[in-house]
Amino acid sequence: MSAIKINEAVFWVGAMHWDRRLFDELIPLPDGTSYNSYVIKGSEKTALIDTVDPDCEHQLFKNLQQLNIKKIDYVISNHSEQDHSGIIPRVLSEFPQAQLVTNSKAKTILSEHLEIPENKFKIVENQDVLSLGDRKLKFVMTPWVHWPETMTTYLEEDGIAFSCDFFGSHLATSQLFTDRDPKVLRDAKRYYAEIMMPFRNQITRNIAEIKSLNPSIIAPSHGPVYRDPEFIISAYEQWSSDKVLPQVVIPYVSMHGSTARIVDYLVDKFMEIQIEVFPFNITVSDIGEIAMSLVDASTVILASPTVLTVAHPSTFYVAYLLGALRPKTKYIGLVGSYGWGGRMAEVIKPLLANLNAEFLNPILIKGYPRQADYDNLDKLVEMVVAKNS
Amino acid sequence: MDKYVCKLCGYVYDPEKGDPDNGVNPGTPFSEVPDSWVCPICGAAKDLFKKQ
Repeated sequence: MSAIKINEAVFWVGAMHWDRRLFDELIPLPDGTSYNSYVIKGSEKTALIDTVDPDCEHQLFKNLQQLNIKKIDYVISNHSEQDHSGIIPRVLSEFPQAQLVTNSKAKTILSEHLEIPENKFKIVENQDVLSLGDRKLKFVMTPWVHWPETMTTYLEEDGIAFSCDFFGSHLATSQLFTDRDPKVLRDAKRYYAEIMMPFRNQITRNIAEIKSLNPSIIAPSHGPVYRDPEFIISAYEQWSSDKVLPQVVIPYVSMHGSTARIVDYLVDKFMEIQIEVFPFNITVSDIGEIAMSLVDASTVILASPTVLTVAHPSTFYVAYLLGALRPKTKYIGLVGSYGWGGRMAEVIKPLLANLNAEFLNPILIKGYPRQADYDNLDKLVEMVVAKNS
Repeated sequence: MDKYVCKLCGYVYDPEKGDPDNGVNPGTPFSEVPDSWVCPICGAAKDLFKKQ
């Protein structure tokens, strides 16, 4: 994709990775992704904000060439992760006069990962201002969105907040700007669930920092640029708040049908009483979809058969992700079946100890569910209803 | 002064050392570490620490 003009001094020079389908060898990317890099041409100095993934470096250099950029004075690194920083060494060798502007935490990470020499760095602190002549950049530390060193660069004269991963979405699109597009919102929610959710408390503080800037544009490092910042800020406020919705997420796996029968029964019951329910067969589900369902839901019920005395490995995987992503889940249930014995609850519970959630009594059924088991499942449903009302 | 350990990643807050990189001076007991402080290794909030 070619360079795109944002205004007379600011240009998008990033890369679209249309066909990337996996990030961190972990996160599915159904809509590809983009790495947004921006050039700001001040009257005296030119700055490049973040770079692109090394897989796409030719796109950045092609865009710089297209804009006839002969000189870069400052390369700003808002986040040290390689999808934004990976080709900084290459940029510094193409533009040898450029200084690398970042904070001290990022300096450590960039030095260690990319072997950038000491004399290239220009270190900035919170609220420092860098003049480009007729335009100024202000640096606002926004730690833990997504690493400890993440920061936002604010172009004061144009009201543009370059927030890097914060408010981003994995979405490759020919439309650089978005105005309240539900597809962007969905991808931004998925991104929040996968990347931001573990840092909910810090996000709340960082939202306040960004709001205090009163930006007219939020330009993240992945996905479209928001011309209506309120759209994404209010969504983030809702996702990161303590407010849960009366929804039940049921990640499950079943080997011979017993656990599937339990899940079918629960799903039917919740549907009958009109509680929103999201069953996910773990073995065929996109983990991003599961993560997204955890953003708002009050209740998670894990459903698993027993393998070699413990939960199925797929259940461990999801339980581990739950513990790592730390959603605001309030209630956790565990249901499943076993053949002759097992320690399902004992092994799963410790994985979820990080969540401030109440464990509902597990219902582990020997073999295929019978009437007494359905009665117990009814009680679980009643309890979930009571807790959610 | 008690040390506190992060339940998520195992980082140990040692009051004698504090966390000067993140604005907590050496000699600060855990109870006086600001609520806005987070684990420097994994970003966990203060309430995810337990006494060692």
